Amino acid sequence: IQDDHKLSTSELEEKYGTNINKGLSSARAAEILARDGPNSLTPPKATPEIVKFLKQMVGGFSILLWIGAVFSWISFGIQLAQGAESPFDNLYLGVVLALVVILTGIFAYYQEAKSTNIMASFSKMIPQQALVIRDAEKKELPADQLVVGDIVEIKGGDRIPADVRLIFTQGCKVDNSSLTGESEPQSRSCDFTHENPLETRNIAFYSTTCVEGTATGIVINTGDRTVIGRIASLASGVANEKTPIAIEIEHFVYLVAGVAISIGVLFFIISVSMRYKILDSIIFLIGIIVANVPEGLLATVTVSLSLTAKRMAKKNCLVKNLEAVETLGSTSIICSDKTGTLTQNRMTVAHLWFDNQIYSADTSEDQTTQPFDQSSPSWTALSKIVTLCNRAEFRPGQENLPIMKRVVVGDASETALLKFAEVILGDVMNIRARNKKVAEIPFNSTNKFQLSIHETDDPNDKRFLLVMKGAPERILERCSTIMINGKEEPLDSEKAEAFQTAYMELGGLGERVLGFCHLYLPEKEFPDTYPFDTDSTNFPTSNLCFVGLLSMIDPPRSTVPDAVSKCRSAGIKVIMVTGDHPITAKAIAKSVGIISATSETVEDIAKRLNIPVEQVNRREATAAVVNGMELKDMSLQQLDEILCNHSEIVFARTSPQQKLIIVEGCQRQGAVVAVTGDGVNDSPALKKADIGIAMGIAGSDAAKNAADMVLLDDNFASIVTGVEEGRLIFDNLKKTIAYTLTKNIAELCPFLIYIIASIPMPIGTITILFIDLGTDIIPSVALAYEKAESDIMNRRPRNKRKDRLVNEQLAVYSYLQIGIMQSVGAFVTYFTVYAEQGFLPSTLLGVRVNWENNAINDFEDSYGQEWTKYQRMYLQWTGYTAFFVSITIQQVADLIIRKTRRNSIFQQGLFRNKVIWVGIFSQIGIALILTYGLGHVTALNFTPLRFQYWFVAVPFAILIWVYDEVRKLLIRRYPGSWWDKNMYY
Amino acid sequence: GLIFLFYLVFYGFLAALFTFTMWVMLQTLSSDIPKYRDRISSPGLMISPKPDTALEFYFNKSDAQSYAEYVSTLRKFLESYDDSKQSQNINCTPGRIFDQNDVAVKKACRFNLSELGQCSGKEDKTFGYSKGTPCVLVKMNRIIGLKPEGEPRIYCTSKEEGMVEINYFPPEGLIDLMYFPYYGKSLHAHYLQPLVAVQLAINSNSTKEEIAIECKILGSPNLKNEDDRDKFLGRIAFKVQMTE
Repeated sequence: IQDDHKLSTSELEEKYGTNINKGLSSARAAEILARDGPNSLTPPKATPEIVKFLKQMVGGFSILLWIGAVFSWISFGIQLAQGAESPFDNLYLGVVLALVVILTGIFAYYQEAKSTNIMASFSKMIPQQALVIRDAEKKELPADQLVVGDIVEIKGGDRIPADVRLIFTQGCKVDNSSLTGESEPQSRSCDFTHENPLETRNIAFYSTTCVEGTATGIVINTGDRTVIGRIASLASGVANEKTPIAIEIEHFVYLVAGVAISIGVLFFIISVSMRYKILDSIIFLIGIIVANVPEGLLATVTVSLSLTAKRMAKKNCLVKNLEAVETLGSTSIICSDKTGTLTQNRMTVAHLWFDNQIYSADTSEDQTTQPFDQSSPSWTALSKIVTLCNRAEFRPGQENLPIMKRVVVGDASETALLKFAEVILGDVMNIRARNKKVAEIPFNSTNKFQLSIHETDDPNDKRFLLVMKGAPERILERCSTIMINGKEEPLDSEKAEAFQTAYMELGGLGERVLGFCHLYLPEKEFPDTYPFDTDSTNFPTSNLCFVGLLSMIDPPRSTVPDAVSKCRSAGIKVIMVTGDHPITAKAIAKSVGIISATSETVEDIAKRLNIPVEQVNRREATAAVVNGMELKDMSLQQLDEILCNHSEIVFARTSPQQKLIIVEGCQRQGAVVAVTGDGVNDSPALKKADIGIAMGIAGSDAAKNAADMVLLDDNFASIVTGVEEGRLIFDNLKKTIAYTLTKNIAELCPFLIYIIASIPMPIGTITILFIDLGTDIIPSVALAYEKAESDIMNRRPRNKRKDRLVNEQLAVYSYLQIGIMQSVGAFVTYFTVYAEQGFLPSTLLGVRVNWENNAINDFEDSYGQEWTKYQRMYLQWTGYTAFFVSITIQQVADLIIRKTRRNSIFQQGLFRNKVIWVGIFSQIGIALILTYGLGHVTALNFTPLRFQYWFVAVPFAILIWVYDEVRKLLIRRYPGSWWDKNMYY
Repeated sequence: GLIFLFYLVFYGFLAALFTFTMWVMLQTLSSDIPKYRDRISSPGLMISPKPDTALEFYFNKSDAQSYAEYVSTLRKFLESYDDSKQSQNINCTPGRIFDQNDVAVKKACRFNLSELGQCSGKEDKTFGYSKGTPCVLVKMNRIIGLKPEGEPRIYCTSKEEGMVEINYFPPEGLIDLMYFPYYGKSLHAHYLQPLVAVQLAINSNSTKEEIAIECKILGSPNLKNEDDRDKFLGRIAFKVQMTE
């Protein structure tokens, strides 16, 4: 769009009203700053805290509970107006319900805020400084004060403070990886070299770094108008999709709310038609809603997720959005970056070729020795060249660090060679000192070689040694002999052929190959005092002796191949998306297993069968390497076809926009897509992905902002542990929900039977809240600590359309089987308490109206005794307590059976998850406190209970356990059977 | 189909299990006395007649229709106290607990209606309602095994002084100890609980006024009458409003 790169300096001066020597005036700069705003990226709009808070207040079941509260207050109002005796019960109930909503809301909000705060530390950027010429003076200014037309000076190591048109450069190289993903530094000059402003050499872009050299330029774009700013704003345009777990929880909330409302309304109609008063029917409705809604569950889910988030943080996965914890578990495609994520992000010597043979070098992260054969004299010669023909140096003061971790001043290849030499030969600096350098020609792009001349450390050898390295073909051109086993042999066509083969082979591995040669200068022609002059090259640079080749690559991290194969067995497709060359990309993909050893691309098949690419049956190729250029011309259908037909895909030379297209393509397949990225350019894709994973070390702030998760160690293998945790939490949430839903039936049945059979109320609404928010909370969180039942990394990712968090089987099994069993157990306790106090079951049926009549104070029991209203109420509360205790006792059994869904409890181990026992003890402890400790607080409706009533439901608890063991046994025995289909949740 | 059958069997089993456990539980119970009586350690008081809604009597002494229901309730209530119904009952020794623990067949003590004097309904068929002296029978709730100590008596007060004069039958509202203890419906089939009639002679100046009466059990240390929460434990409050 802009053509600043085509303009001359004077045209630019005119356009921006500036002067390249004096810069802008401060006043003018202030004007422009006021017009354009500061030179910084607008951060994505954050949701206001109050909105987040209110969302918690009305989300999930809150609405239902608010309705319950409002109904309570309405019936309180009506009762108050009618002058009933105890209308305050309903007022309290309403207040309690409202409190429940508010407290769980505050809790969830707090949990969310806590996990967001971890991330806040990332966004704090160190203010960047820029060297600007203003008012004809050089000034150090904060980079966000820059305006268009400012003249800035940049030197090696600086971050480019804005989009800058260069007007003066000296050996300037920039690392554009944050923009293009390409890690190779690119040189910059003042020349207009390309029509496309992104490709031309005379523009340096905001947020990229200057690797070496210096440059001066005119600021042409600032802030959001920079190229990177436009990409970043592309990211904020991408809507945030709902996470899979959010969808699942929503589905679950709808399900439970649907059940609650339909049962509520059904029984409202039933009670009205049974001639209950409307007011009573409304109170029933509240009771049914409260019984049906698992009040504590959403808080429990939040806690479970944050527990997992904590666990993942320990494994270097920092989760920004709590729900993303599970997303990773349902991920079916990972689009991974190459550099830094799959690879170590440093060049390392991978192969050597000398004596007509290829040797492999150790490329692992913590190499201390090199295993290849070092006995050949050719190697001695080669190692000398590697050591001497190298300008890279270790920063001083790092002697205690492992070699691989030391910081080096120099470019990537030289660093690799320096470290390689240091590992094998030891103190390189000392060797260099002993072989004093007398002359040097540094590498440049025209001659493509580097040369230096040294004295030798052999006191008897007065010859100078000329060493040279460079592009292999250029080096070979300058050689007439080749060293084989330490002897110089003439370079004939056969030997040149061998060189070609080796060169092609190493190149085919995606490695960067360098050739090395040397020449001992004859002592007579080049005596001690010979004045070497690099400008006139008064020394030979041809007819040298070729020694060998070294090839380098950014090697994969050692943990990655294993992680990729884990992903594979977990049914997750790993797609590599990189800005690198296809050959390098493919080589790395092969070495980490993204392309497996046996698969072939279309090109491979064509080559093997020796037929044109067009004739190959595309279906036969399992792998594909897609070039960004090809991708540009592809239609969406073609892209879909590639994503669909090939299981192993590498996208090379892709641009940021293409990454977004790839992600969208994967999502069209119905996949849950995880994307890793570090650059600003990745942020749209990170945002678009179901889960965006930013790199903690190499990642830019924009990437971290857009991501849902940050990998603290930049390591792909950490993603796999994340996947594992995500899958585990999904399974465990299922268990938690199943556990929680079960007792809702035991809480609901009393209401229904109360309405239909008119027995005294078996359990109170407040009591129910004590179960939902008291005894059940810790146990349901404890299920989050449950270990996986089988290798969860050996099954396919869940199908987000079919494998629901709460499926029909789970609801039916919890509601209609275990829940009913619990109800039966609790009712037995209830009837026992009443019978032993004088009210036989037969007496209880149909007594509701008289029982609750305040005026009847001589209510006769089965034995002829007479009870006052309060005595009956106290008995009723004893009934509540007994019912409560029974549910608690049976929930212990429920907790134990929910530890597994398929395996026997004994396979899983009853004591392996200690937290479950904490849960059980807390459950019983809370029940004891409520019954005996708070048994005298009337408002809570608990009374001290005879000890034996704690055991009435125990046989039912045991039955629940036995029944569930049988269920699991049949599921294991008869997979795929009717039983399996209906009983496995 | 299969799923239906499954649930049929499943719920059938649960129903059978429920029935069985209930049956086992009921087997452990005695049919004579409940296993525990700790929830009713002290008796409540109740009155007859008992107005439908709240304990409030409204009537016009010159309008028989207005108190017809009270009268018929009283009449019905006293039917079981009729001499003809009490033929099996024995005359017990007044003033003493009538302990029959060792006897298989528990006898019931006779409660003579004549003890209720003007409130027995014999002389005044309207129980005083037509004369402006309405009778209210106060009874103590039956509780198996309860043995009152001391000399329990019913004592009523009116908040508004001088509006009403209260007479008791038997005199002083005494409840005789010989009617205790009660042995339960099945063992003590003909048991009649002792009654105290409270006659309210409403002052002719106080007609049309709402008179609040509270009756309490006094004189027995083991019968509570001051419970904070239970307003009927050993006491009862009601209101009377009479018009002319």
